[in-house]
Amino acid sequence: MGVFVFLPLVLPLTAWPIARLAEQHLHPRTATRLLTGVAGVMATCSTVCLGLVMVVGTAQLPGNPLPDGWSDPEVRAAVPYDEVAGKAAIPALCAVLVACGRTLWRHGRVRRRAHRALAGLPGTEVAVLPDEVPYAYALPGGRRNRVVVTTALLDCLEPAERRALFAHERAHLAARHHRFLLAVQLAARANPFLRPLRTAVSYTAERWADEEAAQAVGSRRTVARAIGKAALVARGTPVATLAGLAAPGPVPRRVTALLGPAPLVRSWPSVFTAVGLAAWGAAAGAAVSAMSSANSAVTMFFILYAATPL
Amino acid sequence: MAEHRQRPRRRGQGELEAQVLSALREADGPVTAGWVQDRLGGDLAYTTVITILTRLLAKGAVTRERAGRSFSWTPASDQAGLAARKMRKMLDAESDREAVLASFVTGLGPDDERLLRELLGQSRSEGED
Repeated sequence: MGVFVFLPLVLPLTAWPIARLAEQHLHPRTATRLLTGVAGVMATCSTVCLGLVMVVGTAQLPGNPLPDGWSDPEVRAAVPYDEVAGKAAIPALCAVLVACGRTLWRHGRVRRRAHRALAGLPGTEVAVLPDEVPYAYALPGGRRNRVVVTTALLDCLEPAERRALFAHERAHLAARHHRFLLAVQLAARANPFLRPLRTAVSYTAERWADEEAAQAVGSRRTVARAIGKAALVARGTPVATLAGLAAPGPVPRRVTALLGPAPLVRSWPSVFTAVGLAAWGAAAGAAVSAMSSANSAVTMFFILYAATPL
Repeated sequence: MAEHRQRPRRRGQGELEAQVLSALREADGPVTAGWVQDRLGGDLAYTTVITILTRLLAKGAVTRERAGRSFSWTPASDQAGLAARKMRKMLDAESDREAVLASFVTGLGPDDERLLRELLGQSRSEGED
């Protein structure tokens, strides 16, 4: 086993190409589910391994409450017991736990505060707020799921585009997209290498809702126009990047995708095309990394289990 | 008796209710009955203001929420505006709200605006064909 225990900490790197490819070539629904699943598995394995490194690395330190058997020479022969790594794992693990706890707490707080703000309004599904700042979002939970939209945003859209906007937000609520978003956010906190997956999932979830909205209103172009107009009105602060190097942001990519043909609901492209080959390669890499993560975790669990005097 | 107390004239209940309501509407957010009393001038008793507010509450024209030991009052028609203000306050305070609330659109990059206008223009001309 040896250094293999450290692999789950860096193997999430192999998920980068799959995030990129899935985002571009899979149906957004498939991509969202796949990437969230991969991120969840990898984050769990990485955290478990971090915990195991910490346990093995610190078990021999004096005053440690862990069983002495865990620092037994046989265990040390089987797993890395490098004190430096073990000690470094303590703050790392603490940071992961604190970051995840904070993310969960903030998630709850934003939802609670948003529902409280709407408490005085009639309990309709759509809450229209008189505000000159254009925004719209789906607010899950509370007594019922709600769609929040401001008059400023509705004013700039035509009736068909408004229907597209509502269909988009309802799709978010119906498919429980906030759970996917929370899962990848927690994963990104657990292992920073998983951050590209979070970005990818927040894009594919929007695309998923766009496609559902296009089906609901029966026109891809209407949804594209609604997004485009809303984005131009909501402009806000431009994202700080180097103008020359900036790739098109998520909004133009969504509009471009909607102006093109609908994505096919096939699970995977054929292995005989270049895209298919790359996708399959990336998928295999991700699967192997997830498996070796799990393998390391399970092996270490059994070694420690055997070493624990019961 | 009214002349004896030097009142200019007896005001109808509807008139008082309208005055209290308009005072509430001028307020910037929920206010106390004392604030309404000050706003309307000294010749209305505090209990009268409370009576009128309670009557308006029964009619659904105002809402109240507990603020410490007393109530703060808001005109009901302004509930949407109040909700909008509260929501803005929350959105401004939460820096990573994007992660929780799936927003319809996100910020545009430096080149995105031009690109988007091109795409929309293209879509419009195709739509007219």
